[in-house]
Amino acid sequence: MVRFLGLRLARALLTLVLVVTFAFIVLRLSGDPALLIMSADAPPEAIAAFRQAWGLDDPVWQQYLRYFTAIFRGDLGQSMRDGRPAIELVAERVPATLALTLPALAMKIGLGIPAGIYAALHRNSFADRAVMLLAVAGFTVPSFVLGLLLVLVFAVQLGWLPSGGQDSWRHAILPVLTLGIGGAAVLARFTRSAMLEVLGQPYMRTALAKGVPWHVAVRRHALPNAAIPTVTIVGFMVGSLLAGAVVVESVFSWPGVGRLLVVAVANRDLAVVQCILLLVATTMVSANLIVDLLYGALDPRLRAQAKGANG
Amino acid sequence: MSDLALPATISAAPPRRRRVRLPPLVIFAIGWLSLMLLTAFAADLVAPYPYTALDLRNRLSPPVFMGGTWLHPLGTDELGRDVLSRLIVSIRMSLLIAFGATAIGAILGVTLGFLAAHFRGAAEQAVLALVDFQASMPFLILALAVLAFFGNSLPLFICLLGLHGWERYARIARGLAVSASSQGYAAAVVQLGASPWRVYTRHVLPNIASTLIVSMTLAFPEIILLESGLSFLGLGVQPPLTSLGNMVGYGREYLTRAPWILLAPSCVIVLTTLSVSLLGDWLRDRLDPTLR
Repeated sequence: MVRFLGLRLARALLTLVLVVTFAFIVLRLSGDPALLIMSADAPPEAIAAFRQAWGLDDPVWQQYLRYFTAIFRGDLGQSMRDGRPAIELVAERVPATLALTLPALAMKIGLGIPAGIYAALHRNSFADRAVMLLAVAGFTVPSFVLGLLLVLVFAVQLGWLPSGGQDSWRHAILPVLTLGIGGAAVLARFTRSAMLEVLGQPYMRTALAKGVPWHVAVRRHALPNAAIPTVTIVGFMVGSLLAGAVVVESVFSWPGVGRLLVVAVANRDLAVVQCILLLVATTMVSANLIVDLLYGALDPRLRAQAKGANG
Repeated sequence: MSDLALPATISAAPPRRRRVRLPPLVIFAIGWLSLMLLTAFAADLVAPYPYTALDLRNRLSPPVFMGGTWLHPLGTDELGRDVLSRLIVSIRMSLLIAFGATAIGAILGVTLGFLAAHFRGAAEQAVLALVDFQASMPFLILALAVLAFFGNSLPLFICLLGLHGWERYARIARGLAVSASSQGYAAAVVQLGASPWRVYTRHVLPNIASTLIVSMTLAFPEIILLESGLSFLGLGVQPPLTSLGNMVGYGREYLTRAPWILLAPSCVIVLTTLSVSLLGDWLRDRLDPTLR
C-alpha cells in the first residue's frame, strides 16, 4: 500500500513538474521576455539592464532552476496590467468561480449518476432512450449555446432571471444550470455504460444463479464495481472545479477565474495566465491523487495487488 | 423507404458482405454531414453574397420565417452582412480546422504510439508520461495558455487544436502495436527482412485502422466544440475570417434585437456535432465493440 501510494505521489509530482516545464518552455519560445515586457522601441541599454536584472543572459538551465525555486517560494510574478502579484489577483477570483462550480458539481452528480444507473437497469426502455437522447444532446450542445439559449428564454423572453452579472443568488441560477446540465449528461452517459458493462459480467450471473435477489445483486455487486470508472470521471470534474467554467463565466459575465483567464489571454498578461495554469494543474493533480486513493478504498483487488507487489 | 430489402443473390454471399441496415438517425447524420461537406467545398458557388459584403439598407433584417424577405433568407447582421453567406463561409472554416486538427492529432498520436511500442524502455516511459500529463490537464486551459504566449494565427491555431486528443491515439496505437508484435504476423514480416517503417505502415497500421477511425469520429466533434468555444471567446479564429463560434460570439451582442445571427450558427454546430457523434457511436458498435 505504501508503495502504491508512493508511486501515485511520484506521478502526481512528475505531472506538476511537467506543467511547470511546459510553462517555462512556452514562455521562452514565445519570444524574448525583455522585448515582450519592455516595449520594442525601448533603448538598448534599458533592455540590457533588464536582461541583467532578470538573469536572462544566464544559461537556460540556470534560468530554469531559478524559475523553479521562485515558484516553490510562491512567487508567480506580477500582473503586467496593474502590477499586483498575480497570485493575489487569481486568489480573489476563486470564491466566485466556486460559487458556480460547486452547485453545478452537486447537480451533475445528483442528476447524472442516478439517471445513468436507472437507464442501465432499464436498458432499451423508454426511460433509457430518453436519458440517452438527453445525454447525447447535452454533450453536443456547446455550453455557450446552451447558456445563450437559457438567457434568450429565461432572461429575454420571460424576464424571470437576470442575464449576467453577480449581484445576488438569482444571478447564479442560469450559469449553474448551464454547467450542470451539460455535465450531468456526460456523467449519465458514462455511468450508464459503466453499469451496463458490469451487469454483463460473469460474477453478476453467478450471484443471480446462487439465488441472490436482483436488487441485492445490483446493490452489492454491480454498483460498487461500476463506481470505479465513474469515480474517475467525477474526479476529473472535481479537478476542473476551477477551470471548468471558462466559457460559461464569459457568457454570463461572471467575475471568476475563467473570466480572468480569458481577459489575461487577450491581453497576453503572462504572469496571470501562468499562475492560473499552475493553480489548475495543482487542483487537477490533487483530484487525480484523491481518485487514486479512492480506487484503493473501493477496489479490494487493487489493495491485494499492491500488497502482493509489496511483499 | 429506408427499408433496404436484400436482393436474393446476396443471401448466397458470405455473411460479412450482407447489406448494412442503417438506423434512421444514422441516415440523417450521413445526410447532414454530406450537406455540410458539399457546402464547405462549394462555399464560393453557393453563397449568395460575398461574406463581407454590406447591405446598409437592410441592416438587422429578420430571416424569411420571422417575417423577412427572400433577399436575405437567414437575415442580416447589424452591418447588413448576409447571415446565410457568412454561415456558409463559417462552415467551411470550421470544418477545415476540425479536419486539419483531427488529422494532425491522429498522425502525431499514432507516430508517438508506434515509437513507444517499437523502442520500449525510456522512450516508452517518456511518451507515457506525456500522455498522462495531457490527459490530466483540461485541454482548454493549455490551449488558452499557448494562445496567450504565442498570439494567434490560423496555422498555429489549427496545430494547437491538433494537439487535442493525441494522447488517446498514442495510447491506442501503442497498445495495439505491442499486441500486434506478439501476434506473429509482424514478427513474420520482420523475419522476411521488412524495415520497421514498412512493418508499421503496411502491416500494423491497416490492422488498427478501424479503431483509429472510430476514435477520430469521437474526437472530431470535440474539436468542433473546442474551436467554436475558443472562437466564441474571441481567442480563436480572428476577424475578418469567420467561423461558427465566431458568429455566435458576435451574435451574442444582438441577442435581444436579432437572435437569428446567433441561432443559425448554433444550430449548425449542434447538428454537426450531433451527426458526427451518432455516426461515431454507430461505427464504434459496428467496427470495434471493444472501445469503451
